[in-house]
Amino acid sequence: MLRRFELYAVPPDASPEDVRTLARACRDSGRYIPEVLDSAVGANRSDAPVRVVWEHAYASPEAYRRYMVHPYHAAVIDRHVLSDSPERIVADDTLGAGLVGYVCDEPRYKMTTGVRRVVLLRVDREASPAELRAMCAHLEAVPEAVPTMTVSVVGANTLGSAWFDGVTPITGPPRWTHLWEQGFAELAQLEAYRDGPSELAAAERAGWDGWRDGVVVRSAHVFYEIDALGP
Amino acid sequence: MLHVVDTVEVDPGRAGDYLALVGTLGVTVMTDAGASLVSCAATSAEIGAPVGVQVVWGCEGYPAWNEIRMRLVLDPRWHELASRAAALRLGGTRRFYTPLDLRGAPTAPG
Repeated sequence: MLRRFELYAVPPDASPEDVRTLARACRDSGRYIPEVLDSAVGANRSDAPVRVVWEHAYASPEAYRRYMVHPYHAAVIDRHVLSDSPERIVADDTLGAGLVGYVCDEPRYKMTTGVRRVVLLRVDREASPAELRAMCAHLEAVPEAVPTMTVSVVGANTLGSAWFDGVTPITGPPRWTHLWEQGFAELAQLEAYRDGPSELAAAERAGWDGWRDGVVVRSAHVFYEIDALGP
Repeated sequence: MLHVVDTVEVDPGRAGDYLALVGTLGVTVMTDAGASLVSCAATSAEIGAPVGVQVVWGCEGYPAWNEIRMRLVLDPRWHELASRAAALRLGGTRRFYTPLDLRGAPTAPG
């Protein structure tokens, strides 16, 4: 599977209706493009320069490629996001995370309500594959110590550079090398985790300084209440 | 065939600049990416209203447009074009049309 996120900045003077239009176009894409799975949107509540997050998935790279050439993609979604469209609603991406995503075997990310947090990680480029595997395993095991974190999935951000066909990189390495996707039932639980005593929360608060020999160089995050239905 | 139809409104005093931008950088960037200029038309600048400009780009279909789109996104000139065009226009729309032959029994395209 391909798990994919689009993170949109919106100009401060954009109207609420414009933002709703953008969110609706993304969220409803699965109605018109059957290959789009688990489509939901959220309004980012972190201080990252992102207003709307669209989370979704595809069963395979082939399914992703059918999405790419679907009329709804070109005529409805791109209408609001492509830089030269007269109807563009979004602003330029300054976070370096306009499109991110990873490959997974099954939809362990799945949740239809609650709060999603996506942590964008930049790992040390010199880290070995074994170190990265250990890092991923460590992060995915966090719910053992933090049971309110009901989803914890980590993947390399392959879609950041392979956004055309889901497989082939066509740009340089993305700013964010990995995604750590989390889920909580309620916002209060996310806040309790972030303020809490767990090893990972402490590492995050410390800016990952020294954690696992400094494998994480920097991070950013977005979080939002999942709106799979909406108005 | 697929037509990408951009219909915008421009202040009459800036319509010339907009048309010049489309006719130079616009045509260069779009044709380099694989699209063709089908037509360009404008309303009168002497009717006391914003000038409507309609530019129609053509390509073989949605798969071809997807390839063109990829080339555009990777082309720094396209980002410059987008930025300059946005500064000149008041607003507008983008729609995709499939030409139909009305002599048969036409139906809406898929």
